[in-house]
Amino acid sequence: MTAGQLRLTVNGTAVELADVPAPERLLDTLRWRMKLKGTKEGCRTGDCGACTVLVDGRTCLSCLTLAHEVDGTSVTTIEVGPEDALVGRVRAAFEAAGALQCGYCTPGFVMAIAGLLRERGTGAPREELLEGLGGNLCRCTGYTAIVRAVDALRTETP
Amino acid sequence: MASFDLVVPETAEEAIAALQTLAPGEAAPIAGGTNLLFDLEEGRIAPRRIISLRRLPWRTLDWNGGALTIGSTLPLRSLEDDPEVRRRHPGLYEAVRNVGGVALRHRATLGGNLVRSSPASDLTPMLLALDAEVDLVGPQGDRRVPLDRFLQSSRRTDLRPGELVRSVRLPEARPSAFLLQRVRPANDISQVVVAVAFASSERSWRIAVGGVPPRPTLLPEAAASLGSGRPDPAAVRRAGASAASHSALAADRRASEEYRRRVVGHLVERAVAMVSGGEGFPA
Repeated sequence: MTAGQLRLTVNGTAVELADVPAPERLLDTLRWRMKLKGTKEGCRTGDCGACTVLVDGRTCLSCLTLAHEVDGTSVTTIEVGPEDALVGRVRAAFEAAGALQCGYCTPGFVMAIAGLLRERGTGAPREELLEGLGGNLCRCTGYTAIVRAVDALRTETP
Repeated sequence: MASFDLVVPETAEEAIAALQTLAPGEAAPIAGGTNLLFDLEEGRIAPRRIISLRRLPWRTLDWNGGALTIGSTLPLRSLEDDPEVRRRHPGLYEAVRNVGGVALRHRATLGGNLVRSSPASDLTPMLLALDAEVDLVGPQGDRRVPLDRFLQSSRRTDLRPGELVRSVRLPEARPSAFLLQRVRPANDISQVVVAVAFASSERSWRIAVGGVPPRPTLLPEAAASLGSGRPDPAAVRRAGASAASHSALAADRRASEEYRRRVVGHLVERAVAMVSGGEGFPA
């Protein structure tokens, strides 16, 4: 019943990690153990959303999640390949809309939008999708282009 | 940050036993962990052992007639997404969807919110207005405590050593409304929240305020001034004035007392109008 080996599927690949300490955050497992540095550490207190990843398809703040608490799940990060078409579409929409300034918040925003679209569909009301991004901060205040990217995704056919 | 080990019990009995192997404060349960990991990060707590509740069968939502039992480890997002909750407890739906952001609500739980007993909780005022009861399991057996008694002050509850919150029970569906005041509309801590519900069975009103130290509070005098049905405009104004003059409205770093009094009067009037003008209000 104590935490032992950690099994995750990360971006489609099954991984087994031994000796992950109980206090380790999912954020640190991804960044430092798996060298997936796309997921960003912003505040480490759940306020900024920069560390957002998908756990079994649902958005998750990886800084406020013990890695062992998501043992057995499938984790998707910004690095995911073409097998995740939705994340690919959100990345492309960000590129087309120029939806970034310094870029630090971008992986969190992309994963938050991908998670929302997976939950609600591209036909969800605009208001609901934009409200659903309330947990992600852009300290450059570059929100206008991010909203444009969301609007472009809404008009796309899934 | 201090080290700890993590145990993952399969049953409530195992979880209660694991909690008792160490002194209180040295063992802590984890549900969604969004409060717990924040407190760990800030160095506010230093448990030696964390007991995961993730394998306990408490991610439930059960209707029994009009009564609703919400499992303590159900993610808030699941509560918000339930169409029956939205229809029969509109105020609770509003309160839940204003907690943090979506990603936080995918992990945060109702049980965690109650045990943290934050004066700034957006959920507890609404639950007080719905006469919520807390179902506890522990070494001395099960017990049910009214939420009003369970909540004491910030980080202090009626929870005894070895006890866990299993579920929260709402005795009946009620026309209800929830309003808040914040600096930023999203992902912020409320300066003041107002929860209003009409208890159809006994034809009486509940008004609760929160976002204010030391804890959320029911305002029975303000509620009584609304009478036993749909209030006239003068009664609504009296309820707002009564709420605004209540001693429960103190100052802290988020807002002054005067500001809160001014805001609360308006929010109470607006919330009462939403409830009494809503479709579900009994004739």
